[in-house]
Amino acid sequence: MSTKQLIDIEPINAAVASVDDPEYPGLSIVDLGLVETCNITDDGHVTIELVPTFTGCPALNVIADDVRNAVAAINGVNDVSVNWLLSPTWTTERVSEEGKAVLADQFTVAVQIGSTVSGCPRCGGPLADESMFGPSRCRSVSRCAACTETIEVMRA
Amino acid sequence: MEEFEAFLNDGGIVEAPDDMPDEYRDAVFTFIEMHANSELMGGLTERDWIPKTPGLRHKMSVVAKTQDEIGHGHLLYMVAADMGVKTRTEMLEDLFDGKSRFHNVFHYQAKTWGDQVAIAFLVDAAALASQQAVFKNCSYGPYRRILKRIISEEGFHMRLGEDRMMRIANGSQVQRDLFQDAINRWFWPSLQLFGPDSKPNDKLLRWHIKSERNEVLRDAWVQKFVPLLQSYGFTIPAPDMKFDETTNRWDVGPIDWEPLKATLAQGGPDSARRISEALSNWQQTAWVREALDAPAPEIAAMT
Repeated sequence: MSTKQLIDIEPINAAVASVDDPEYPGLSIVDLGLVETCNITDDGHVTIELVPTFTGCPALNVIADDVRNAVAAINGVNDVSVNWLLSPTWTTERVSEEGKAVLADQFTVAVQIGSTVSGCPRCGGPLADESMFGPSRCRSVSRCAACTETIEVMRA
Repeated sequence: MEEFEAFLNDGGIVEAPDDMPDEYRDAVFTFIEMHANSELMGGLTERDWIPKTPGLRHKMSVVAKTQDEIGHGHLLYMVAADMGVKTRTEMLEDLFDGKSRFHNVFHYQAKTWGDQVAIAFLVDAAALASQQAVFKNCSYGPYRRILKRIISEEGFHMRLGEDRMMRIANGSQVQRDLFQDAINRWFWPSLQLFGPDSKPNDKLLRWHIKSERNEVLRDAWVQKFVPLLQSYGFTIPAPDMKFDETTNRWDVGPIDWEPLKATLAQGGPDSARRISEALSNWQQTAWVREALDAPAPEIAAMT
């Protein structure tokens, strides 16, 4: 006898949102704008499509493992497939307001959207470019003109 | 100084423009400078391995780690330079002249992929534990805030290190032998990274730059990694190591500090090559810095 169990998408979404970026503990991958789609079939096959901040990001395997483990733990889920998309491309416009607040408050990281950079996360002062190369492809380094703080800037 | 120490003991945080006693400024500066130098030297080691790393999965992690470490060095040199003791150029010149220090583990050569796994697994864990102990209660604000970023990324490197370790430990006998050889080479340098027992009146502890004694951090590392490596069937190169049944703890036996002293005097097995490689890298990339610093019209004229 087999009973078809229909499960809600909400707990799946919540499980995906519980996964943090491995380099920003406390920042959900949903708030970082990595999650494109999240679907479940009637017989419990979950497919999650993610967008990498950049294709060479070394965290892709780790993030996919974390998502798979979080979702597979939900009752009624048969299998989970996590796919990294080549399109659309990630931009900083995908970072939510909540995400920007976590970056600023927890990590003193500013966000650049287009050519506009948010103010210093500490004092709100204007940031001056120091180097286009930060610790990762998705970050550059600036200095606050007001409080002199060294600031990482997230960029596309 | 008494007033300043009372301020620190009350949890006071010192910012870059604040007045601070010279001894405090020098101690914090030297500490950050050594950290910055170590990130740079570590990044260069990692870079050496980009062409030699087996498989795309590991290669991506080595590329990213290289950029992370160099990026951390960049951020730390900025924070150190803000203290007004030395400029960034002076710090780099002192590094290339052998006048300033970097961590002992970067005075050894990473000969095999097994060494790279041991570095990512054992050395990074030791470095992360030390950094966490600084971050927890560091009285110098700019360093503490940069450490938060660095620690989050080093935590991620630990996961990459675990991934490398699991793959080599579950691999063929040849791979396991390669890793055992690396453990034999890297166990003691990793352990010595924590340094000898902290002195009773350690300035770094008194001024809340570090928050934990060296021997406590070192012991925590031993209690974690000795049983972990053994559970994967590897042996620990410590002939006098004992397990104390009453305390349930491992004692690695007497520690020889001579190798650590040698590295701190730039006399480690690979110190000279490492330093000259860092210098030649600095010289070869001069054109990039000149191009980036050139005013806009000159860039237009070059294209």
